[in-house]
Amino acid sequence: MKTIKKWIIPLMLMPLLSSCTIKAVGDPNRPITINANVVVDIRGLKQTATHIEDMVEKGGAPNA
Amino acid sequence: MLSKKIIVVSFGLVFLLASTVPAVMAEQYDIKTMTPEVHKALQNRHARYAEIQQRKESGLIGENNQGLLQALKDPSATAGLIGAENADRQLIYNEIVQQNNLSPSNLPQVQAVFAEVQREKAKTGEAIQLPSGEWTKK
Repeated sequence: MKTIKKWIIPLMLMPLLSSCTIKAVGDPNRPITINANVVVDIRGLKQTATHIEDMVEKGGAPNA
Repeated sequence: MLSKKIIVVSFGLVFLLASTVPAVMAEQYDIKTMTPEVHKALQNRHARYAEIQQRKESGLIGENNQGLLQALKDPSATAGLIGAENADRQLIYNEIVQQNNLSPSNLPQVQAVFAEVQREKAKTGEAIQLPSGEWTKK
């Protein structure tokens, strides 16, 4: 029982730390703009860029 | 007692993984839908690839740090080629931004990554622009 009690607080904190829900309260006629800072994962994009440039060099663009 | 601990620790680990794995997983940016416009742009680019390589080797054009071609000598001689190639490249970059739900403000990042790939693919002696803006020969 003690072990469960010891774990319950960190377990409850985890979702709070890992994700947040923003609830906007206010005038519905004045929408709130939240500027999301989207970070582009360079590794994933570089793979795609390399694949596209290889396709341009060698041909073989997939059909539309 | 031991089995209780195992259950609690396992539950904690599953919870931790479920809440953090999506955040650390590498995003895959791709052309998710091959639209006729993108397909045409890729075909056009392949068709002019040899001509572009020839112009690069003769030092007339180079790859700038925005993933685009740039005239280095005699701009009027290569304006048509550069204009058409850069229009197709821009279409592809914009499509990647749109199809991956990125913000228009991410477009320069997308272009910078393509520029990096172009620098890596450039052959010895070809002109490339470094991220600092300085032009050099590979």
